[in-house]
Amino acid sequence: MATVVQETNVWARDALLNGCQAVAQAVRLADVDVIAAYPIRPYTEVMDALSKIIADGELDSEYIVADSEHSQFEIVKHASSVGARAFAGSSGTGWMYGFEALVVTATDRLCPLFVVGNRALDDPGAFGVEHNDALALRDMGWLLCWASTAQEALEHVLIGYRIAEDQRVLMPMALAMDGAFLTHSQHMVKVPSQEAVKRFLPPYNLGKRRLHPDNPVSIAPQVNEDWVMELRRQNWEAARRARTVIPKVYESFNDIFGPRYANPFFDEFMCEDAEVVLVGLGAVAMPARTAVRRLRERGKKAGYVNLRWFRPFPTEQLRATLGRMKGVGVIDRNFAHGSPDNGGIVVQDIRSCLYPLTQRPAVTDFIGGLGGRDISIDDCMRMLEITFEAAAGKQRDELVTWIGLRE
Amino acid sequence: MASQLPVIDYEKIKKIHDTPLEEFYTSGHRTCQGCESAMVMRDFAKASGPRTVVTGATGCMYVANTSYLTTPWIVPWMHTQLGAGGSSAVGMAAGLRALMRKGKIPQEKINVINFSGDLGAGDMGIGGISGALQTDYDLLIIMYDNESAANTDIQATGSTTYGAQTTFTPPGSKHRIMHRRWKKNVAAMLAVGHPTCRYVATASATFPALDFMNKTRKALSIGGPTFIHTFDPCPKGWDFHPRYSHELGELGVKSGIFPLYEIIDGQVIYTYDARQKGRIPVREYLEKQGRFAHLIDEDVDYIQHMVDTMWNEWEIPGVAPFRAGLSVAG
Amino acid sequence: MIKRVEVNYRGIFQKNLGKFIGGDIVQIASRMGKVAFSNGRYSDSPERNGIPCKYFAFVSPDLSEEELEAECGAKLDIDEADVSVVVDDTMVKGVEPWGWHGVRAINEKVREKGCLLVVSRHGHDQLLKFVPKKPFSYRLALVEGDASFAGLWVNKDDLTRERVLGAIAAVDPGIISIEAVEAYLLERTKERHRAEAARAAYDATLRSTRIIKAGEGADWAHEIPRLPTWKEFEDLGVAVPAVPRGFKMGPRGQARNDAFKRGTTKSHRPVVRFDLCIKCTLCWYDCPDECFDPTDDGLYDVNYEVCVGCHKCAEVCPVPECIVMVDELKFDNNDSPWEHHKRDPQGYITWAEDKKGTERIHYPHVTGTGMEIRQGKFVPPKQEKGGAAAEAKA
Repeated sequence: MATVVQETNVWARDALLNGCQAVAQAVRLADVDVIAAYPIRPYTEVMDALSKIIADGELDSEYIVADSEHSQFEIVKHASSVGARAFAGSSGTGWMYGFEALVVTATDRLCPLFVVGNRALDDPGAFGVEHNDALALRDMGWLLCWASTAQEALEHVLIGYRIAEDQRVLMPMALAMDGAFLTHSQHMVKVPSQEAVKRFLPPYNLGKRRLHPDNPVSIAPQVNEDWVMELRRQNWEAARRARTVIPKVYESFNDIFGPRYANPFFDEFMCEDAEVVLVGLGAVAMPARTAVRRLRERGKKAGYVNLRWFRPFPTEQLRATLGRMKGVGVIDRNFAHGSPDNGGIVVQDIRSCLYPLTQRPAVTDFIGGLGGRDISIDDCMRMLEITFEAAAGKQRDELVTWIGLRE
Repeated sequence: MASQLPVIDYEKIKKIHDTPLEEFYTSGHRTCQGCESAMVMRDFAKASGPRTVVTGATGCMYVANTSYLTTPWIVPWMHTQLGAGGSSAVGMAAGLRALMRKGKIPQEKINVINFSGDLGAGDMGIGGISGALQTDYDLLIIMYDNESAANTDIQATGSTTYGAQTTFTPPGSKHRIMHRRWKKNVAAMLAVGHPTCRYVATASATFPALDFMNKTRKALSIGGPTFIHTFDPCPKGWDFHPRYSHELGELGVKSGIFPLYEIIDGQVIYTYDARQKGRIPVREYLEKQGRFAHLIDEDVDYIQHMVDTMWNEWEIPGVAPFRAGLSVAG
Repeated sequence: MIKRVEVNYRGIFQKNLGKFIGGDIVQIASRMGKVAFSNGRYSDSPERNGIPCKYFAFVSPDLSEEELEAECGAKLDIDEADVSVVVDDTMVKGVEPWGWHGVRAINEKVREKGCLLVVSRHGHDQLLKFVPKKPFSYRLALVEGDASFAGLWVNKDDLTRERVLGAIAAVDPGIISIEAVEAYLLERTKERHRAEAARAAYDATLRSTRIIKAGEGADWAHEIPRLPTWKEFEDLGVAVPAVPRGFKMGPRGQARNDAFKRGTTKSHRPVVRFDLCIKCTLCWYDCPDECFDPTDDGLYDVNYEVCVGCHKCAEVCPVPECIVMVDELKFDNNDSPWEHHKRDPQGYITWAEDKKGTERIHYPHVTGTGMEIRQGKFVPPKQEKGGAAAEAKA
């Protein structure tokens, strides 16, 4: 049993860091062995910070400036295959350029960690946040979670490696951060001590799958139809087990660093007695929670669910929380053109998750903040009000509402 | 971040009888009868020995070698994506170097080798290989060139010989020749573009005997990122009886259509100097392959002309298609 | 009612032949007012030279196209065959198309009263030394001829295609009738000799068809591998253990992939006269399948379990008559020839010469046609290149 003792030395210092720099600090603390970089805004600053950390001798790591995202991701994949802890990242269409490598990293059951600085997909080129890049991983056998603050970003690099490298899981990990709002916003961040991180994060051990002359294996021989289903089932099993590993890892994190995460998969804000909640990913949590507070001041029972983990999707937990509500409004900072109701991606999963309930909340969908457009406190209040109306049974012409669109 | 490892100075194999007997790529692969690319696999594995890790890019030598849950590889091997040959080698080399330097695994020299076909290495993955050749890692990339996307039943690539029939370039009643690209000069291109790369070579698996194995060893001994381009007659796609695989390789070299050379620290050394030894007409090479059966004299003459130019007029014959000029621009 | 035909052929060399026969059956059956379609076994692709492959044709007089497709289409292999055609008789020793498929009997799919139709110059008894017994009675029919090998870009036009169609009509007129075969060939090609070849094969096959009784045939040693459940290989998943390192001098001294030996790929095997060997190493050095085992006396044993019969060793061997390729059906085991030679040097020479016989196979460079390029026209192969080339033209 872990001893729940709040150690005095678990935090080394407070530092002014933006989301990118916070991730870089965590990569240093995780003693990552191989890093591959390639520039694309807004994730780039992670590598800017890491390269300086390496140049100053604060981290002993191979650091490769690759010739493309595809090479960058393949370098990291193969470094992971020989047993090295590896790190890379990207954004937007750069992420999509390397997508082939991302797919096979998961099917090879390797476990590097990637940061995605969410960015709109071209064309036209746009730097601002949009979640389609990271959400493209949703069916690919990856662990996928969103940080909504720089502190969370730092901590989730450590948490992410721990889950990804767990022998029961062995899946790659993507940590998404909203471009600009998180990647480039500076906050005071508590930086853990190396000793505390060492206690939390054991060394990477790929075991029998490691590629090394002392462990001669052939990895990913070609298969026929007689193998693929069994392999997919194994991946499915890993994702299933990740659902049970994740809470244990947070428990361990809380043991060492203090009770920081009440619910590993999502944060509930004023949800206990709420009738209507918004659900969102990433930095929109800030205006959304403020809007909830303001509505509460007016006596309306609003709440906010800050969904952290998207893969594995916390089905049971979300069903329990959202199932209590009368109305659920989903903020989709993404698009899924031509999907049911022409909605976003997140709403599809949430609606499916709630469908088995006999008493289902009204689910409304909001498309907003695309390409980095603001989602203001007022926008969030409006979304909550629409969700209240839907919960009260008011019919709308469109099931999906675009927020912040010039009309 | 470089770390010093003991250099293994591989011994040159002087006589064919001194060839190591033990195989590290062994029987039980689904390659074609008479497959010369399988010879490349066998020879590099034999020459590099047990302390080696290998990645194989998608292509014939991926799909034909491993039928699932069976493998012909004795050395550790892993699949990599079609265009990821160079980056897979960098990833392995970087991972091993970091783990050794940080004391996480024992210090030793482990050979890092990637093989990619002509489609993978010469076309899709050339950017990644270029990236790999700019690093300071010890790695060897072997481009096994059977002049087609052979795994998908023979489609033209940038390395297919001019005029050849492939499933993407069939002769027709209007267009006799659908493949009108001249073969990409991959080895020399990489050598020219990467002046810190100490070793680039071309080779044919079985002609001259021992040559490819010794080039593999030389590349591994010299160290840093290195590149070898092999010329692999393909009975299936080139359409000849498998028994002639060796002969076709020899004819390709002797006709001068595939020059054999090494570039060591900027010095070009011809393995088979066609200027001194003379060249047999390319016709003797072409006419033995069904993929050229639709060519007429005019086509053969054009190919001969291009080969003549390569040997007689290039600044570095068979290697670099430039002429040094005296005139000054402007 | 459904009639199912499979054509067993060797990859690439006979790919066009297999596909043409399948397509012909569909067209002939359609002209007869039946419903038919044809496909190949997808798992065989990409086809490698020599690897056993299959093409199928399905014919029904009464089912709709959708029903026929539902019964036979969305499947990787045939359920059972009314006629199993074999266009290279050496495949009767068993076929192993890919790892984990196992070595399968050539008559595995032949149904009761169905027919195994083999293109061969060997007689029934010789083939039955290798064709395994079945628990029921079926028929074995022969079409006299050699395996028709051609390359990827060419089809060897030696009338095997027409003759097989005639033979199918003979063994099962419920699939296609000989009259329909003749009419189709005449109309399609306007060449009478093609229809005549089909008719001649029809007549000959009627005479050559023999009933094989239940239990008649060879014992079968190969088991079909069992594929593990997803849990049974979860620890390694996409990874598999490498072939364990191992080498010692002598027969079977090199570690090899035991799960996929693929020796059934060969239609000829090299017979080595060890007494003539000058120990140049070239057979071993140039072998793309690592099938030669070095021995302490400087000779090289052949592991016939993994030899795929590419002929390369025979081609590079500098000593005349030292390595000669011999019809695979002349052999009934994969024993070490070197051990035979050591045990009984004189007896081995007698044995080897007996196997080699007096005929020697010669191949043109370009498979199938023996053509060489001259102004885009087919030119007869040079006579010194030997019999097979000339035969291919004939």
